[in-house]
Amino acid sequence: MQDRDIYELLAGKLEDAELAWREAGPEAYALVPAARIHEAAIFLREDPRLSFDLLMCLSGIDWDGYDESGKGKSVDILGYNPDGTPETSDRVAAGDLGVAYHLYSYRHDHKFAMQVRLARDNATVPTVSDVWPTADWHEREAWDLLGIRFAGHHDLQRILLDEEWVGHPLRKDYQMPDRWTEVPLAGQPYSKNPFKQDNAPPAGGDDSGEG
Amino acid sequence: MATDDRTPAAAGGWSETEDLPGLRSELLEINMGPQHPATHGVLRLLVKTDGEIVYEVKPYIGYLHRCAEKIAEGCDYKQWTVYTDRFDYLAPMNCNFAYVTAVERFLDFPVPERAQYIRVVCAELQRIASHLIALGTFGLDMGAWTPLLYCFREREEILNLFERLCGGRMLYNYMCVGGVRFDLPEKWREDVLEFVRWFEKNKIDDYNTLLSYNKIFIERTADVGVISVEDAHAYGCTGPVLRGSGIQWDCRRNDPYAVYSHFEFDIPYGTGEVGTPGDCWDRYMVRVREMAESCKIIRQALRGLPEGPILADEIKRVLRVPAGSCYTRTESAKGELGHFIIADGGTKPFRNKVRSPSYCNLSVIEKIGRGLMVSDLVATVGSLDIVLGEIDR
Repeated sequence: MQDRDIYELLAGKLEDAELAWREAGPEAYALVPAARIHEAAIFLREDPRLSFDLLMCLSGIDWDGYDESGKGKSVDILGYNPDGTPETSDRVAAGDLGVAYHLYSYRHDHKFAMQVRLARDNATVPTVSDVWPTADWHEREAWDLLGIRFAGHHDLQRILLDEEWVGHPLRKDYQMPDRWTEVPLAGQPYSKNPFKQDNAPPAGGDDSGEG
Repeated sequence: MATDDRTPAAAGGWSETEDLPGLRSELLEINMGPQHPATHGVLRLLVKTDGEIVYEVKPYIGYLHRCAEKIAEGCDYKQWTVYTDRFDYLAPMNCNFAYVTAVERFLDFPVPERAQYIRVVCAELQRIASHLIALGTFGLDMGAWTPLLYCFREREEILNLFERLCGGRMLYNYMCVGGVRFDLPEKWREDVLEFVRWFEKNKIDDYNTLLSYNKIFIERTADVGVISVEDAHAYGCTGPVLRGSGIQWDCRRNDPYAVYSHFEFDIPYGTGEVGTPGDCWDRYMVRVREMAESCKIIRQALRGLPEGPILADEIKRVLRVPAGSCYTRTESAKGELGHFIIADGGTKPFRNKVRSPSYCNLSVIEKIGRGLMVSDLVATVGSLDIVLGEIDR
């Protein structure tokens, strides 16, 4: 079945919800209201015409600073300055967060993509990990790296980063950390390379790049 | 704990009152890893055991996390190819292939046919190399030391071929968006054909004699760690893990990318030949048989190798990728390796999520690990053939 037909079926099922169909780029996707995503997931999985038994991928997205005009003028992420200190910015992050679901049906050999958009200050979406257990780790990853909450997830903890990590690195306004516990994370400026004898820091001088 | 029907006493273990008054049994929490030879990298499995029986297993990952997806947002499309090498460091060609295929979905010019064929040859050679490591280390987990040496000897031949092709032995950065970096060196084509002939004729039988049909090996792996079809689908298992469960499904055949539709090959799958479909032995055997299929593909690709350019002309400019979003999947040695890319029309990806096969394949261990013996847990983890660089990204 073509993904447009699948969309029509889904829109028929969720007739009181506002769905949208986006066709920009190589892959079209359905935009589903976040509150209805669990219902949509169950329908897509259980309906015999669709039977999406594989959740190929679940991705968290931070749409902050995305250039809708398609000219590639999106906001740059913050990195490190040439002297090794983290870059900072006064810009206030504004865009939505989002989650993308990519489904595949072994039985019918068709694919479907859908996304949800979430308000930045309350980024919560119902979990689909009870529909597709593989979503469990993907959702934990999205929480870990983007700070998207999945309501109803049985164990929403960080998965790739340490439990005590502060912030969510894949957010566009994430500021790189200076150090993590004892370990400095900021890049060493090249001029302070400790292995370069003739460029040793001045005696008794600053030790900001130490270690 | 007392109300759970899986308590030691309920499972037939020591009970407090009858056998030994005053002696209580309880669950023991042990850490397998992060530094442990049987976890194939820095993986920590927190195992709750009831004697020798695994009561619960919980993987802790992230020790190799570098947030490559963040790095992707900071460098342009071509630059990031080199980071894909570091995901599955046992099969970097497949990782390169997946990434460049994903980016090329956005572009409106074709990749030269010759480059496509060379990519397939490299990807299949790499698949053999990766499967050889899987076989060797799996044998090692089962206490068989010799097959590892055999596997590494043959892998060495493949690495030598790659070294002649692009200079790298482990991380190649050979494929690039729009083609491949170097044309084939002199006599390389003949040497690969010779390697394939030699490997297919002598070597695969060697592994079968040494390991596959070894009685001890079968005892250790048959009926162990069975993944049912439902679990495989639900947990997103792909690649040899899915096929081991008896599903004849392969991305190269069922959702063809590049030029895979030009070639004829079979898809081996688990049939429960010595045990139950979906057990460790089936997953192992799928890999052995896939190596023979890869040989077939390599031979067809090299015989039909077209002449022509190896890099699209358009790619020599700065690469701007049209806006849009797309999820593209390919079949790497471990399973379905997908990239979800959101492009904004500029030179850098807005978002690049990597769906790595080992990540999803490992997640099933929480489900199937329960009730196994501790030594069978080692067998099961080994049969999943995970690479931590790809899980942690």
